[in-house]
Amino acid sequence: MANHRFSPVSEGEQPCCDISRKAQICLCVVLSLLVLVIIAVVTAILMWPRSPPNHKEWQGSGTTAHFGDIVLGRCYTYTQIVRPELRDKDCQKIQEVFLKSFLSKDPCDATEQDYQPLIELANQTVPCNKTVFWSKTKELAHQYTRVQQALFTLENTLLGYIADDLSWCGDSGSSEINYQSCPTRRDNCSSNPVSVFWNTVSKRFAEDACGVVHVVLNGSLNEAFDRRSTFGRVEIHNLHPKKVHTLQAWVMHDIGGVRSDSCSSSSIRDLKSIISERNITFTCQNNYRPVRFLQCVKNPEHPSCTSGI
Amino acid sequence: MFQLSPGTEAERGRKRARVVSGRQSCPLSAGRSHFSARRSSESRRPSEVPAMSARGCKPSRLLLPALLLLLLWLPRLAVDAAGAAGARWNGEGTSPNLQSIFLGRCNDYRPLLSPEEQNKNCTAIWEAFKLVLDKDPCSVLPSDYDLFISLSRHSLPRDKSLFWENNHLLVTSYADNTRRFTPLCDVLYGRVGDFLSWCRQENASGLDYQSCPTAEDCENNPVDSYWKRASIQYSKDSSGVIHVMLNGSEPTGAYPIKGFFADFEIPYFQKDKITRIEIWVMHEIGGPNVESCGEGSVKVLEERLEEMGFQYSCINDYVPVKLLKCVDHSTHPDCALNSSISSSMSSMHKLIHVTRHRSFRLTVAE
Repeated sequence: MANHRFSPVSEGEQPCCDISRKAQICLCVVLSLLVLVIIAVVTAILMWPRSPPNHKEWQGSGTTAHFGDIVLGRCYTYTQIVRPELRDKDCQKIQEVFLKSFLSKDPCDATEQDYQPLIELANQTVPCNKTVFWSKTKELAHQYTRVQQALFTLENTLLGYIADDLSWCGDSGSSEINYQSCPTRRDNCSSNPVSVFWNTVSKRFAEDACGVVHVVLNGSLNEAFDRRSTFGRVEIHNLHPKKVHTLQAWVMHDIGGVRSDSCSSSSIRDLKSIISERNITFTCQNNYRPVRFLQCVKNPEHPSCTSGI
Repeated sequence: MFQLSPGTEAERGRKRARVVSGRQSCPLSAGRSHFSARRSSESRRPSEVPAMSARGCKPSRLLLPALLLLLLWLPRLAVDAAGAAGARWNGEGTSPNLQSIFLGRCNDYRPLLSPEEQNKNCTAIWEAFKLVLDKDPCSVLPSDYDLFISLSRHSLPRDKSLFWENNHLLVTSYADNTRRFTPLCDVLYGRVGDFLSWCRQENASGLDYQSCPTAEDCENNPVDSYWKRASIQYSKDSSGVIHVMLNGSEPTGAYPIKGFFADFEIPYFQKDKITRIEIWVMHEIGGPNVESCGEGSVKVLEERLEEMGFQYSCINDYVPVKLLKCVDHSTHPDCALNSSISSSMSSMHKLIHVTRHRSFRLTVAE
């Protein structure tokens, strides 16, 4: 849009008006065009949906808000109140190292090595015969260890406690936490920071187990034992036969639910063969009583909770 | 929700128990003996100085450091002489890393809030809470937490309030992180302070990490006033059916006539918001049956509620909670159910104004 308006310039009024009128007009036009271009660009920048610099957009929800604060607070709560025997752990350092494990890194290329420093720092010995694995029974297993405080699921260890239900990721192009989104399998990103974390700590949890270990399985699913679960993929293969002599499985059926799988079904026999091949004894119990009581809390009047055998 | 290491229930029971003696035997005596051990080794040090001079060091060189050391130890010796032995008060000192724990818990709690409430500013809540840390530890009133409460307050789900005395761990387990019930320790303004302790030093700014006053030391101490204020708010915001879990195996009585529930919760029940009150008197599996519904202090509670015009019912060993207790005692005979009970269980919950005296024996089908 050309600027049509121009005022007659009297000669000698200003130094710049030595140039010809044509040049002045050209100059005005160019300047106005420049201003318009600048306005257009600025408007475009302001109006454009803003995404944080250098953060890619993924399918999964972003890092949990206040991730750092939550990690630090949970670490102190765990080491000072839940398991005071760990009070000498340096939570500040643990938080720092946790963040370093994934910041400034490609969130589709997380590795076990990324988490090694964190694992060493938060190292913790779980007493023998106290390890409880779970697969598709998270809530029930945790209810059980909340009552039986001497037992540990992974989420009852320091690292598991800190990270439970949190999500996190960074970006190789930035040193900042990505609060907008994080990659998941839907992004074709199985090596994302959260999945790799849980694989890594699960492996260590299994490696450190000793004596009799237990697993809570869901017999109301098609497959109580799923080879693709963390338990099936990682944990059972990292039990140390020289340390773990027995794996005891508790196959629980939902109260009023179907009894699709049980100790005698094929998926459990599959589990049994894997375990036995590793020279570990396998035992199985349907509806292990103490855990059954827990299920009955929600359904106290159901026949399976009230009638005698 | 976190768990406690076994054995800390007694230590942490300060919130609920006005009886101090049990708690005193735990962290405090350990602190005292540690301190006296240090003192004896330190008091030996000055005597080492002459020995060094005997070896031929110039006395004048050693005199100055010796004097300095003595000056450092004098205050401690004075304190010991005064008999304080390093612990001014009866209660646990300020929890280390208080701020970090507080902020972590506050930020962790957001998912449990409704969408409108999720924008709570945890930093502002901490700043409001922190105000009491500048006050003399025997001059903190419940009202000093008013700003903190106003910032952290949120709506409570109807019929989910659970009051209790003398069974903190059982309540936490049963409530299951607000899945079943929402006791005070699962409300934001109760969660941030749960199992923590805090107070300013008596004659200086800065926190006292050695000890903090309990009710025995002075009434207006930071922690008790916090729980009083939180209890009042929790009561005021509770609606629908109110549940109360009492410990019928507690030697001093299931319902403490003077306690947080009696003094700071019952008086603040909102009659127009409450439909009825259900009392559960739980007994330890195989434990003593000190009191049951309609007996002793429970009777006092029932009469008080009746006088206030509330509809109430009382159940001994409420089955769902008893089932939870049985997890730990699955082979105990008290955890074997006979089917004649099952029919009466359904009618049990409909009864109002009746006290039950049956104890239920439970078993579970394999």
